[in-house]
Amino acid sequence: MTLRSSPVVLCARQELLLAARSRWTQIFAAVFGALALAVAASGYVLSGGGGFEDYARTATSLASLVILLVPVTALVIGILALSSDRGATEILFSQPVSRRAILFGRLLGLFVALAAAQAIGLGGAGVVIFWRAGSSGLSAYGILFAGALAATAIFLGIAAFLASGGPVRRSRALAIALIVWFGTVVLFDVVVLAVATLLRSGPASRLLMTAVLVNPADAVRTATLLGIHGTTAFGAASLALLRFTRGPVGAALLLAASTLFWILAPLALAVRRIERADL
Amino acid sequence: MIRFEEFGKRYGRRCAVESLTCSVEAGEAVALLGPNGSGKTTTLKGAAGLIRPTSGRVRIGEPPRDASLPAARRAISYLPQKVAFPEALTGREVLEFYRALRGVAAERVPEVLKFASLNGSSNRGIASYSGGMVQRLGLAVALLPDAPVLLLDEPTAALDPDGLCAFYGFVEKRRAEGHTVLFTSHQLGDVERLADRLLLLVEGRLVASLTQGELAERLAERGVMRLRLDRAVPDLLGKIRRVAPGVTWAGGELVVPGPAKDRPYVLDLVRSSGAAIVNLVASEGRLDVLYRELVAEERR
Repeated sequence: MTLRSSPVVLCARQELLLAARSRWTQIFAAVFGALALAVAASGYVLSGGGGFEDYARTATSLASLVILLVPVTALVIGILALSSDRGATEILFSQPVSRRAILFGRLLGLFVALAAAQAIGLGGAGVVIFWRAGSSGLSAYGILFAGALAATAIFLGIAAFLASGGPVRRSRALAIALIVWFGTVVLFDVVVLAVATLLRSGPASRLLMTAVLVNPADAVRTATLLGIHGTTAFGAASLALLRFTRGPVGAALLLAASTLFWILAPLALAVRRIERADL
Repeated sequence: MIRFEEFGKRYGRRCAVESLTCSVEAGEAVALLGPNGSGKTTTLKGAAGLIRPTSGRVRIGEPPRDASLPAARRAISYLPQKVAFPEALTGREVLEFYRALRGVAAERVPEVLKFASLNGSSNRGIASYSGGMVQRLGLAVALLPDAPVLLLDEPTAALDPDGLCAFYGFVEKRRAEGHTVLFTSHQLGDVERLADRLLLLVEGRLVASLTQGELAERLAERGVMRLRLDRAVPDLLGKIRRVAPGVTWAGGELVVPGPAKDRPYVLDLVRSSGAAIVNLVASEGRLDVLYRELVAEERR
């Protein structure tokens, strides 16, 4: 069996084709590009200036947007693709291929499709930034792209876990996905900050640092900002983490471990779930 | 070969199939019959490795392998009840994908497209297909590999007469080649035409297993011959009763229930009585009537 004929690659190619033809993916690429351009073009407006921001400042401004937009897109597109019609699922999973291989293949295809959409969106804006503001801070823009890819992988894994339990209604899986997104991206931070304000400095720092490591959205956001700004990163959680690890290397390792855990854990659970599911 | 060994499946508290033990041999076409919710689809899904048995097991192929293993699925082709494919793909793309997944030669694609009468529409998006076309595409996918075991869940539900004819021809060919066919259907014509044996499931239990010969016998027992004579013959009924105990006069007709093989004797008796036959109508037992009787018997 060659790599091109391996079930994982075949399923990935099929899913990539479907995702490329999906209106959702096309809209995502367009919205991502438009927002990146808008952020780059309007960056100095609040400080009373005008003109385009460079890559580093655009990346900083876009980090929060990426953490808001990428998880919900990965969850929605993942659920829509992986909880396909019952008949289609039955035909696919009755083939002489392991369920794990089908799942990995489909996820790989979706990941490549979303990565391509992000590359098109960020790349389009990147070309305009290069034309208007030069190449200063290009690596920061690359780090932002890497953060977006990590968030995509994490939330596609969560979507796979939600959609792997057998023939559930798509609307139900989507509702759960949106709750997961709201919980991790919005609610979690609000609750943690509210609790932190009630604590003394030491326990509050420990809480913020733990929150960054246990919440995948926070881990990716903090890692991205740390990557862009290094030790000059601002934010209570980043500072707490830097203080705890006594430097950026330890913080980066902890954040990488957290990100890796959040990529692998939902995937492992999704595999376990799909292998036990009645389809 | 398919072997169900005490196969049982529960969904929560509901028992879909209860301790099913039976086998379908190579070269045999077996129909699974039963009312809605009797466990036919669950049984087929068990053989396709799509569900995990709650008890027992299903083994497929030679040497027998547990149906949940990918290696066992190499021996099967499965057509679900409600066929669906991603609407953004064309028929040809779907077939190319499954062809590559099963390692089938590229020449098979035009062959199955022709069989499914989708030649002219294979490059169109599935979103534009009718229900019958999607069903035919599903059949084409199931027929792509030369799998020794065909599992077909209501394969003829959406086929037009031409499609039906092609499908019958195909199954008969596969069976003649020694392949195993297990299918469900509510079309009793499919059963009479294709099945060497029928299995009747009622509320998850196997209640009857009849070979084609046994079925023919059971249907023959339900045959009736109606004779209108030119005049009444007083002792004729008594004479015929010795051959056909259920004979009666009804509405001026002699009604003779029983198998076709007894009818020549009855006609000899009528002729020898001196009466002339004005009208003769014979009908055979119907599968739908037998089916309803068997189901009602089990539910009683």
